[in-house]
Amino acid sequence: MKFGTILKNENFKSDYYEIVFYHPEIAAAARAGQFVHVQIDEISSRMLRRPFSIHDTDIEKGTVTVVYKVVGDGTKRLSGKKVGECCDLLSALGNSYSDVAPDEYPIIIDGGYGAAATYILAKNSPVKGSFLFGARGERDVILTEKYQALNWDVKIATNDGSVGHQGLVTDLIAKVIEENPGKKFKFFACGPHPMLIALTKILMQQNLDGEISLDHVMCCGIGACFACVVKVNADNEQKWRYARSCSEGPVFNVKEVYIGD
Amino acid sequence: MADLTVKLGNLILKNPVMTASGTFGYGMEYHNFFDISRLGAVVVKGIRMEVSDGNPTPRVAEVTGGMINAIGLQGPGVDKFLHDEHYMPFLRKVGATTIVNIWGKSLEEYGEVAAAMDSESDGISALEINISCPNVKEGGAAFGTDIKLAQSVVAMVRKNTKLPIITKLSPNVTNIGDFACAAVDAGSDMVSLINTLGAMAIDIETRRPKIANVCGGLSGACVKPVAIKMVYDVAKRVKVPIIGMGGIMNAADAIEFLIAGASAIAVGTANFINPMATIEIIDGINEYLDRHNIKSVSEIINSVRL
Ligand SMILES: Cc1cc2nc3c(=O)[nH]c(=O)nc-3n(C[C@H](O)[C@H](O)[C@H](O)COP(=O)(O)OP(=O)(O)OC[C@H]3O[C@@H](n4cnc5c(N)ncnc54)[C@H](O)[C@@H]3O)c2cc1C
Ligand SMILES: Cc1cc2nc3c(=O)[nH]c(=O)nc-3n(C[C@H](O)[C@H](O)[C@H](O)COP(=O)(O)O)c2cc1C
Ligand code: FES
Repeated sequence: MKFGTILKNENFKSDYYEIVFYHPEIAAAARAGQFVHVQIDEISSRMLRRPFSIHDTDIEKGTVTVVYKVVGDGTKRLSGKKVGECCDLLSALGNSYSDVAPDEYPIIIDGGYGAAATYILAKNSPVKGSFLFGARGERDVILTEKYQALNWDVKIATNDGSVGHQGLVTDLIAKVIEENPGKKFKFFACGPHPMLIALTKILMQQNLDGEISLDHVMCCGIGACFACVVKVNADNEQKWRYARSCSEGPVFNVKEVYIGD
Repeated sequence: MADLTVKLGNLILKNPVMTASGTFGYGMEYHNFFDISRLGAVVVKGIRMEVSDGNPTPRVAEVTGGMINAIGLQGPGVDKFLHDEHYMPFLRKVGATTIVNIWGKSLEEYGEVAAAMDSESDGISALEINISCPNVKEGGAAFGTDIKLAQSVVAMVRKNTKLPIITKLSPNVTNIGDFACAAVDAGSDMVSLINTLGAMAIDIETRRPKIANVCGGLSGACVKPVAIKMVYDVAKRVKVPIIGMGGIMNAADAIEFLIAGASAIAVGTANFINPMATIEIIDGINEYLDRHNIKSVSEIINSVRL
């Protein structure tokens, strides 16, 4: 089955929408961190697909939920779609986050719509961990209540100080570590590239384990075009190679991520 | 069911639908969607002697009706291509008719790549010489936009292989017909066209180019009318088979190329939007022929009524 029927498409805050598709196959197959590649325009010659993280699934109801921010033409058109309309969906694409092990303390660090990508991970985790969320300001603080409802410890940082700590989300890491002495930490993150690279550096310095979702502008979404590459460590002279974030990622262990330049 | 087989010189394809190099990986990704041995041919992404990193990112930008790319020919190199299970051994195993797109940074390298393919040619049906990639400084465009250099590349490849040779032409020249004739004179068995058109897009907020390489190549639906004219022009100049491409999104587009003078067609950007595009195009051509009571696809090739 190619098409997902839209059951809901609602603006829940500022530029953010939640869209729910009926697509039992994807709902059953999807794992945390994977994405769905959406054909927004029904005339295929007019627009490339757009990738979105799978935010949540309900296997019994056969639904797949995506949370998106309107940033350009594609997401604007998506926001105008009505309940009952269909979209051609390719999924579940990409690799996924590892499951949280019972002896680990999970710390999720997200920026902006990155909060959408880690929700299934938190929902399925055997341990309630900490959810650290960063955004520019109040307008972009999203989904924190959903992590709260899972009884996770939620901490927020905003650049303008309108909610929570004023500063960067990575500033909050030290506090969480201090509050949870003796635990085996495992970090999971999704958000803007600079945030993820900063986080990778911190984790590598402190010898902490983590997985980040490094998304990049995509085209085919299945590993065929080499548009979406990110630098990963490699056993060659220059010490890096380009890996396709759609098929070899989007989730990479911080040990794999090249932070040279 | 019409007869879809096409004869490209000594190369016989089960149908005229191929994939455009660089848009279909090395076949494996699409084999998850359909049996790629059903295609007329799979044309793999460009291969040179060494591993090639490709360009910095962002590598693509969408524009109205198409896209600009500057991937820069990222690839595994000849040795890995011929021996790693993800590449040629895979294509051989699934029985795909395979055409290898080759390039080099020097004249000699084109010869070396051709010789390497020739020495292990089991499963390789033809070589497509890429002298037209606008996105690599050495090789690529430099050879494809200078008629003498283009000819010497073709002659060099000819000297190093017995496989059929297809020369992929650049549209970024004043008269593409002259280049087609030059390639044929130098020993090319066929020509394919068009590669991408030189293009650029700028973000007006930051005033920066939208792709890291600054300029790239335009492909997708918006280039089709340009490509149709070039195929039509080249068909008047050469007798060898032409493989037409540029903006083919569906069967109607593919049929238009055949009528304009192409003996086979290749599908590129459309694969990114619809992974089943090639298969749907094969079915669509068949349906068109049946609807018009045409028994063989060869009857519509080069059949434009003036
Ligand atoms: C694996 C993956 C998962 C994603 N998950 C989500 C998600 O859950 N929710 C969500 O809202 N968005 C997500 N995105 C980003 C989303 O795909 C883009 O916002 C969308 O494609 C923009 O389309 P557009 O036509 O509206 O904007 P365009 O006109 O294409 O672009 C508008 C602006 O958005 C920027 N942009 C475009 N693509 C990306 C990208 N891939 N990453 C960052 N910025 C981009 C452009 O540079 C430009 O400034 C994800 C991207 C990837 C690769
Ligand atoms: C992302 C991308 C990568 C490409 N890579 C190659 C390549 O490696 N070698 C080549 O000869 N052409 C390459 N091309 C050009 C295509 O094969 C084709 O000539 C062109 O895109 C026009 O067809 P289309 O409009 O159907 O895409 C590439 C095109 C795209 C869009
Ligand atoms: S988007 Fe094509 S390889 Fe990743």
